[in-house]
Amino acid sequence: MEKRTVDMQIIGDWVEPGTRVLDLGCGPGDLLAYLMQTKGVAAVGVDLEFSRIAACVRRGVSAYQGDMTTLMRAFPERHFDRVICSRTVQELAEPKAVILEALRVGRALTVGFVNHGFWKNRVAMLLGGRKVRNEVYTTAWFESRPANPVTIADFEDFCAAHGIRVAHRVHLAGNWRDPCTLLPNLLAGYALYDLTRA
Amino acid sequence: MTDDVEAAPSAPAAARHLAPGDVGLVAPRDFGHAAPFTFRGGQVLPGFSLRYETYGELNAARDNAIVICHALSGDHHCAGWHSPSDRKPGWWNNLIGPGKAVDTRRFFVVCANVLGGCQGSTGPSSPDAATGRPYGAAFPPVTIPDMVRAQRLLLDHLGVAVVHAVIGGSMGGMLALQFAIEYPRLVRRVLAMATTGRESAQAIAFNEVGRQAIMQDPAWNRGDYALGEGPRVGLAIARMMAHITYLSDASMDRKFGRRKRRAAETEASAFDVQFEVEGYLRHQGQSFINRFDANTYLYITRALDQFDLEEAAGSLEVAFAPVEAETLIVGFTSDWLFPPEQNRALALALLRAGKRASYAELATDLGHDSFLLESEELYALVRGFLDRPATPAP
Repeated sequence: MEKRTVDMQIIGDWVEPGTRVLDLGCGPGDLLAYLMQTKGVAAVGVDLEFSRIAACVRRGVSAYQGDMTTLMRAFPERHFDRVICSRTVQELAEPKAVILEALRVGRALTVGFVNHGFWKNRVAMLLGGRKVRNEVYTTAWFESRPANPVTIADFEDFCAAHGIRVAHRVHLAGNWRDPCTLLPNLLAGYALYDLTRA
Repeated sequence: MTDDVEAAPSAPAAARHLAPGDVGLVAPRDFGHAAPFTFRGGQVLPGFSLRYETYGELNAARDNAIVICHALSGDHHCAGWHSPSDRKPGWWNNLIGPGKAVDTRRFFVVCANVLGGCQGSTGPSSPDAATGRPYGAAFPPVTIPDMVRAQRLLLDHLGVAVVHAVIGGSMGGMLALQFAIEYPRLVRRVLAMATTGRESAQAIAFNEVGRQAIMQDPAWNRGDYALGEGPRVGLAIARMMAHITYLSDASMDRKFGRRKRRAAETEASAFDVQFEVEGYLRHQGQSFINRFDANTYLYITRALDQFDLEEAAGSLEVAFAPVEAETLIVGFTSDWLFPPEQNRALALALLRAGKRASYAELATDLGHDSFLLESEELYALVRGFLDRPATPAP
């Protein structure tokens, strides 16, 4: 819960007041409700689950039940001031397509993800020889959705290769609170990127 | 919509209207509008009346009204019982009542039979003052916007200042959307389920088969028939066919499968009822002709076919530009008459137009009539949408 709050604040810092925001994989609408409250944004969320849409509706967050790429394809270029993809990117079937589509419909894109390159994950894998299990990776291999664990280095390479401009990056230490400037791919637990098209 | 999606209530027949959570005994009323009413097509009626029911009380601020819009074959009786001996309550009794998703302790619920209808509102079966005979085919072509404008006059008559929500499924969803477009300052919320901004060719095709069944029946007589008479065979066939489009392959299979009537019940001819599903459809057709007017069927299916938000405005986004209401669109996976795709398109267009709109989709196998479903999930969604105090548009 506390970890959630920190990244909501950073995500919120990059959101201009009164703008249009789309949250990919919005869940029950926690982040959008927070942004509506603190930034007065016009919020739209998208999620696959009926129960999460119902939770959004209950708190006054506009939400669309369905596939996020299909949703984005229904919008003209730069319809949204910002698209947010928080802790979702590693579970996408086609992350590249989603990110590029998000940069088409949004003037800016926030991506937040757990850094799989964090040293504890490396150590756990090296010594344990098993799928990493900890407070972040809570599920066994057979009970989780297909995942593409991503590291900071992977993500930086991806942005460079696809001409995506990194306007801001924030790397947080293993406690997801303190900034991490040294060797982020090894020492950062969580990464946030503010992206635009080059 | 079908008559029998709801499970039969389990309480003893005589006491069902007293069940907690039920609005109980209700009575319809008539609203007479004595001034000329001009239809979209330019034709004028000297006046009209709408039959309607209300449940709950209008509050002092006059802002707690919920308008329920019925589907093609529905009517104003959407909750409660007309008499303790009624076989069934109003058609949306599972949704509307004290403590239910549409809570009549909090909301003033209004439901009117549409203009052009045959359940007490002015329509083709009403007498034309000029001739003393039913209007028949001389009744003005009625549109969804006409129905909405007539209901607006009823709301004014009832003293409603703000509509908390307009709710409808199927054609009722069209009316609900039209309400928000036509009267943006009046309507705070729209809940439209299993609906469309315009029918597909398939939906128009089914309506046309229904109309042909009616018009090819010699008793139709170009719409000129006495009350209680008319193309009963044609209307029954239209209803049988339409009824299939409200269900789904899976739900019909579960309900009837290939079950056959017992031999004793079947008659000599090879083409008498053999399968349960045949008997069911014949019963549906027969009971429909006793309560529905064939000309109204023609007029309302035509209104459905002609409803086209996109064509009227140039695009759906432009059509929705005036909307101030928060909108919730609900689609049902097994609805093949107004499929999820068409419901999604409405929500996406509202969002493109910068409106507050949500889309939820329920996985059901009951087909188009799923919106009448007894579903805790659906109730929770509706309750959540209605309960929150209205927030001003950003």
